[in-house]
Amino acid sequence: MKRYVLGEFGEPEDCVEALRKLHEAGVQGLDAYSPYPLHGSDEALELPRSKVPLVALTGGVFGALGGYVMQAWMNGVDFAINVGNRPPHGFWTNIPITFESGVLLSVLSIFFSAIFYFFALPRPYHPVFESEQFRTASLDAFWVSIETEEEEPVADLEEKLRSTGARRVHTVVESA
Amino acid sequence: MAESALQARRELDPLPLIEGRHDDGTLNKTLLDYVWQRPQPGWLTLFFIGMGGTGLLLAGIAVTLAKGIGMWGNNIPVAWAFGIINFVWWIGIGHAGTLISAILLLFQQKWRTSINRFAEAMTLFAVMQAGLFPVLHLGRPWFAYWLFPYPSTNSIWPQFKSPLMWDVFAVSTYFTTSLLFWYLGLIPDLASLRDASAKRSTRFIYGVFAIGWRGSARHWHHYKIAYLLLAGLATPLVLSVHTIVSWDFALSILPGWHTTIFPPYFVAGAVFSGFAMVLTLMVPARRFLKLKHVITLRHLEAMSKVMLLTGLIVAYGYLMEHFIAWYSGDEFESHVFFQTRARGPYRGIYYLMIFCNIVVPQSFWFPWARRNVFYLWIASVLINVGMWCERFVIVVTSLHQDFIPANWAMYYPTWVDFSLLFGTIAFFGTLFLLFLKYLPAVAATELKELRHELEHEWLEGAKR
Repeated sequence: MKRYVLGEFGEPEDCVEALRKLHEAGVQGLDAYSPYPLHGSDEALELPRSKVPLVALTGGVFGALGGYVMQAWMNGVDFAINVGNRPPHGFWTNIPITFESGVLLSVLSIFFSAIFYFFALPRPYHPVFESEQFRTASLDAFWVSIETEEEEPVADLEEKLRSTGARRVHTVVESA
Repeated sequence: MAESALQARRELDPLPLIEGRHDDGTLNKTLLDYVWQRPQPGWLTLFFIGMGGTGLLLAGIAVTLAKGIGMWGNNIPVAWAFGIINFVWWIGIGHAGTLISAILLLFQQKWRTSINRFAEAMTLFAVMQAGLFPVLHLGRPWFAYWLFPYPSTNSIWPQFKSPLMWDVFAVSTYFTTSLLFWYLGLIPDLASLRDASAKRSTRFIYGVFAIGWRGSARHWHHYKIAYLLLAGLATPLVLSVHTIVSWDFALSILPGWHTTIFPPYFVAGAVFSGFAMVLTLMVPARRFLKLKHVITLRHLEAMSKVMLLTGLIVAYGYLMEHFIAWYSGDEFESHVFFQTRARGPYRGIYYLMIFCNIVVPQSFWFPWARRNVFYLWIASVLINVGMWCERFVIVVTSLHQDFIPANWAMYYPTWVDFSLLFGTIAFFGTLFLLFLKYLPAVAATELKELRHELEHEWLEGAKR
């Protein structure tokens, strides 16, 4: 069963500082929770660069290509409409929809990859929600959590969190 | 030196973004708490009026569906009338929301934070109204799905060379993007509402919509970039949408429509009318929701400056249209601009447009006009009226007297036209009231972040 050692901080800077210290001390399974993005938390945790831009680019390129090919094939090949003997395949007239479908697919891939893949949401249950006090994490407090499988390091980790200046420390256990 | 620089800055920037001293706790309380309160009598009254108006909209739609668009005042030559006027008007209103939420985010304008949620909601609801009109104007709206390229047994495809098809793609992309951008921004606030709720039922409902958001640093890491990228995509999108809307007109050969200035002039007009609508809604909302500490005079003043700028671009557009009509020496062009519009049977609407869109915003050169809330509200309503008149002038005056005098005819709207127009206004208002009551009208997450930043700036400044 997973255990989360939680520590609450009153100021975002203190939280980031604690995060940095714990990370440097080699503590595994660190995470922080805050009502708004913490400046410096990415560096403190040494998170790798986000892959969201790559997903956005891929979506955009496929959307634009797909949009263009769709128009070229539908109007130029499969169902060519002759209007005043203009060429059925018109490059310039395909541009607006190519742009729109590029944007559309890029937006859809950013949104759905963020929600389902990068955030791994929707997730109705997470062990940190076991703590009633943890509700402040989305309101006005800043939390650091340390994830661990075993029970024995918990006391040690709680002590470490306290030493970084957390005002409240406790541990939650994943319910079976 | 540093002291005098600070002093000079204070004089240039006298109005605060957030009034008074706050911490995260008091901001939560003032921004989220009205969600838990019982609806006030004023809200209920407006809500029932809105529902009544929505009934009018449904009646208009029912009549249109049952009897056909013959119930509208449209005729030949004025085949496009209220349907397209209202479509362009509503979609233009929507554009301010994207401008505030996306373009001002990219430009790092701090004043956007208090009003972006509000403006984005307005965008969504306005685009919903806009979408109704072209669909109803199809004549057989139950075949609206024919507009999309799907493999059908008819084995035919849409004609992608038509600006009307571009519109289908532009507007549906725009609606989708606005919705997803709005929802992504709402998720952390929904989580705040979930965690702040005292009752189990509300905790459950907001919890469902917050989809388990816990504000993890690993999530914020992706969230920040996803939000920024959506803003970056929404920015060219909003320009493309109104450009494409203007091409519905400009790609025809009708005098009064066939001009190259249409795309920039339409985009500026859209932003102009959209900011006016944001003000129209915000001035009462900030009072009744007690949001004056986060939506300060600074915000109202910034918005009136944007309206002054875009109003001037619109004025330039009018001027250039008339100049080119004269300079081209084209008889039909001159007829539209100098006979039909300025001296024709619809000249009242033309002069109302000039007054509302060109004369009224000039008052924003003066600080008293930008800071007098009551005046601002009146001016913003007038600008909304003016921008509706602009679309009326563009659509109806150009069509009703075209190349051959034998074709000429007058256009008169019917009661169905008016019920659709006022019905959509009521429906829009109803949706907006629901939004104001049940969701945080100000992005609490972003505002807390802004407060923290401002406090740091202030501390840094004090140290120097």
